[in-house]
Amino acid sequence: MEREDYRAYREQSERRRAVARKSAEAAKGSMDLPFLLLTLLLTAIGLVMLFSASFPSALYESGDAAYYVKRQAFFAAAGGTVMLVVGKVNYQRWRGAAKLLLGLSLFLLILVIIPGVGITINNATRWLGIEGVFTFQPSEIAKLAVIVYFADSISKKKEKMEDLRDGLLPYVPILGCFAILMMLEPHLSGTILIMGIGIMLMVVGGMKRWLVAAGFGGVGAVAVLYVKLVEAGILHYGEGRILMWKDPWLDAQDTGYQMVQSLISIGSGGLLGVGFGKGRQKFLFLPEEHNDFIFAIVCEELGLIGACIIILVFMMLILRGFWIALHARDRFGTLLVVGVMTQISLQTFLNIAVVTGLLPATGISLPFFSYGGTALALQLVEMGIVLSVSRQIPAPRNG
Amino acid sequence: MANQPNRKSDHIRRVNRIIQTRTFVLMLVMGVGVFLLLFAKLYQLQIVRHEELQKMALNQQTRSTEITASRGTIYDSGGNILAISATAETIFLSPLELEEELKDEETTWSREFLAENLARILEINVESIYQKMDRTYSQYEVLKLRADEDVANEVRTFLNDHEIRGVYLVTDAKRYYPYGSLASHIVGFVGDDNTGLYGLEARYEKELEGQTGLVVTAQDSAGNDMLYAYEKYYDAQNGNDVILTIDTTVQYYLEKNLEEIVDKYNAAKGATAIALNVKNGAVLGMASYPNYDLNDFSTIQDAKLKQAIEEGTASLADMQMLQWRNKALNDTYEPGSTFKIITLAAALEEGVIDMSTTYHCTGSISIYDQTIHCTGTHLTQTLPETAAHSCNPAFVTFGLKLGQDKFYDYMDSFGLMGGSGVDLDGEATGIFIKEENFTDLDLACYAFGQNFNVTPIALIAAQAACVNGGYLYAPYVVEQVLSDDGTVVYQHDNTPVRQVISEETSAKVRECLEYVVSDGTGRNGQVTGYRIGGKTGTADKGKTGEVVVSFVCFAPADDPEVILLVALDEPADDTGTYPSGGAMAAPAASAIMSEILPYLGIEPTYSAEELLGADATLPYVTDLSVSEAIARLQEKGFSYKIIGEGDTVTDQTPSGGIVIPGKSTVVLYAGVEKTEELCTVPPLIGKTPAEANVAATNAGLLLRFTGTTSSSSGTICVLSQSEDVGAQVPAGTVITAQLGDTAVSD
Repeated sequence: MEREDYRAYREQSERRRAVARKSAEAAKGSMDLPFLLLTLLLTAIGLVMLFSASFPSALYESGDAAYYVKRQAFFAAAGGTVMLVVGKVNYQRWRGAAKLLLGLSLFLLILVIIPGVGITINNATRWLGIEGVFTFQPSEIAKLAVIVYFADSISKKKEKMEDLRDGLLPYVPILGCFAILMMLEPHLSGTILIMGIGIMLMVVGGMKRWLVAAGFGGVGAVAVLYVKLVEAGILHYGEGRILMWKDPWLDAQDTGYQMVQSLISIGSGGLLGVGFGKGRQKFLFLPEEHNDFIFAIVCEELGLIGACIIILVFMMLILRGFWIALHARDRFGTLLVVGVMTQISLQTFLNIAVVTGLLPATGISLPFFSYGGTALALQLVEMGIVLSVSRQIPAPRNG
Repeated sequence: MANQPNRKSDHIRRVNRIIQTRTFVLMLVMGVGVFLLLFAKLYQLQIVRHEELQKMALNQQTRSTEITASRGTIYDSGGNILAISATAETIFLSPLELEEELKDEETTWSREFLAENLARILEINVESIYQKMDRTYSQYEVLKLRADEDVANEVRTFLNDHEIRGVYLVTDAKRYYPYGSLASHIVGFVGDDNTGLYGLEARYEKELEGQTGLVVTAQDSAGNDMLYAYEKYYDAQNGNDVILTIDTTVQYYLEKNLEEIVDKYNAAKGATAIALNVKNGAVLGMASYPNYDLNDFSTIQDAKLKQAIEEGTASLADMQMLQWRNKALNDTYEPGSTFKIITLAAALEEGVIDMSTTYHCTGSISIYDQTIHCTGTHLTQTLPETAAHSCNPAFVTFGLKLGQDKFYDYMDSFGLMGGSGVDLDGEATGIFIKEENFTDLDLACYAFGQNFNVTPIALIAAQAACVNGGYLYAPYVVEQVLSDDGTVVYQHDNTPVRQVISEETSAKVRECLEYVVSDGTGRNGQVTGYRIGGKTGTADKGKTGEVVVSFVCFAPADDPEVILLVALDEPADDTGTYPSGGAMAAPAASAIMSEILPYLGIEPTYSAEELLGADATLPYVTDLSVSEAIARLQEKGFSYKIIGEGDTVTDQTPSGGIVIPGKSTVVLYAGVEKTEELCTVPPLIGKTPAEANVAATNAGLLLRFTGTTSSSSGTICVLSQSEDVGAQVPAGTVITAQLGDTAVSD
């Protein structure tokens, strides 16, 4: 049996080597240029708009108009470099990091809610680090962890994804843990995003069709029911949020203030905008103007046309990302990219939807635009993963 | 995956296919679908709701500071300022800012300290300051509107000394009326917001107000200016100046005399006086009583009106309306006999009477069943005598000869029906019987000015047309409107409305009316040195005893320059003077004319008789020999009285060089010290001229007579004296005594 074992071992190792060789050869392909350029373009526009939106606050708070944009630019540069490095790395290596990442992010999420460890801003304990020097949100890492782990795990499951036992049961507790930990911060928007990414990966991975339909139907029904109950005055949880979403002018000076200011910013932009840098709402009128509500300043300064162009760039990036996903060499690559692009798309959509009053307010930042160094750097790392997948796209069969 | 080896199981293929399909669907949803919703929402906000939201944005982002345009000045015809805007400062506090200042640890002053000091400087209630401070949501609470300069400076110093932030001063304009109550009914006033509320201030608001300038500054949510300069300036355009025909001097004399006779004859419903330039309708003066102070227009000035409020019989608002009322044009009245001028002019123009017409008055005349009484039984009279006697039957007859149609047409041509068209607000329309209902009985009453109502301004405009050659002019008070840089924006057009009667007819009317003053009911309207034409009027107001007495006169009678109407509403009948136009209004008119005619540069022409009594310059006779001094005085027509035994005149009373009435007695001191004692003014009213002269000379005073000097009826006496009885005045002071006929009827 030894010989057979040995032969089997050799065959296996040879097969492995062949796969590795093939993979290594494939990994020598070039990065997807359109995707790279779109990423760099969005990062650049994001930095410029961040400067425009943040200089009044920066000046009022620190006396240095470029305070925010300098920090952001540093992270953009660092993140960009890491992106190119990650792009060069064979994405298969992420498989090995999947469980590690998952464990790390769960550890950090537990760490952050331990009283005295996390940093609390606006009643939410979401940050780790040293305040004013370097802070980051463990939830950002959690998103990456979920993407990598789910992509790895689902890609191995193959047709077993259709079983409830293999395709659903292992993932529910993971998402559940993340959700509970993040709601303890509390961090509703982050929870929504993680859940969204995870569920989308499961759906794409081959979950039963009826389960998909039932899941979406259920979520939709619960959401509608919740809004109706709040409106009817039966349910009071999150009441203000819903009422202010319906009509922020009910309390334009207080709870509706941010929403009103956001709508005023967007509306006053009109078709062509008041001109780049000439926005007035950033002069202490609009809170969070360089964070979650930066898109309102974009709309005010660049108008409907400018805002639409920026959304179109986002759309092109997302579509190109999905194109890479469709052409990826294997299921893992596809799922990795689907996860990353779902995150970018969901975050962009939810952010703009909140800023424009389409959805009730939650604190979701706008990728590439909102101030936040680690978030930007991690987004760029994720773009690096997509680029890495793009390098292994097999050449088209017919030339 | 497309290149996966064929040996892969069907299962794997199926899984890959599912992943491919679902990724593609997700691509469409995540890359296109959701964003379509965003495009739609953005379109709704940025295009559909753009204007609404932009307005909100501008409201909160900009602070606009108004630059008050300087309101135009109102001048009289001589360039005197009747209304002018001067800068004043409005003091306001920002409760929001004060609250923050008070929280600041570096603030050294307290809320109470600030409030009490402000209350002291501004002279306002400290409680009201606390109330305003409590409105911490506000950034602008006015403490004092348009404070005067000294008050503003005191506040500024106080704020600077204690480094107080949160109280501010803003410069704007305050309206001043240098002449106070003068021409108040014409000039009118402005409200707190500097917009005209009444009179010319309201009527010429558009001209006077100018264009308010604006500075729009971008501000952040804390109210500070934004970092970059976003400012837009809209220059203020100062208001235009309005130049009136009103002459402050003429106006002053009108108001002074009007007030005097209202007091003297206790006119219950006030009075009005209008002086027009006969040749173009320019209003030289227009007075109405009760009067008020433009600088304090809401305070009741008249004692009777005040009393009514105190007694609770009238509200403050009603009394304010009453004192603001311009009786010259806001009210109508039955003119009475002054209207006979119109009847006379129309009848002469139509040729139904001429200068040789005579009329036999039997004391009354019957129309249908009605008997109209006359003031007397005048027997046979010439045409001028019918006017001089104000004979009702004569004028009824003239009116009837004219006929209803023609009479009615003349009323209309003279502008009585449609109003004078004066450029002032609120001209009332006369009240007349409709032409289709007009009967001969109505005509008979109309002919001597009863049973219809006209405004004083419309009546005097018509009367001016009767004596100026027949030209009807619309009376006007605004001569010119000048822009800030002096460009003429508006110039009054002197074209007459129409010629109503001929030059010849007008001359005849003047002749008759001059006779009224020289020998008729209007003789109290005489003015020494001037030929005056006029007509008295005493109109029944319907109730027993209540009358409007009036007198209209013009001078010079042969070529009129000025026409004057004086009307007293409901004078008392217990003042010792018979309530008639001739006895009450004419002397006032005479007093006014004697002051305004020389002022307006109309040269007096004295008759020989008048010359004897005319003023003369007293020569210097001091240091001359007594005989030489006497010769000099006699040469000038003065009498003399010598005190002392010396040969040389050592002093004289009055002093040389002054103008004193002719025939006065001059006291010469010959070696005796001139006594510097004061003389007591004796009572002169009611005395005949001779008696008055004796009384004055005995008291050591000189006397000058004015008013009528024809004493045919023998009832001439002193009506008023310029110095009060019992007053102490230096010896030789000239007292003016107005003569008149107290018994004269209408």
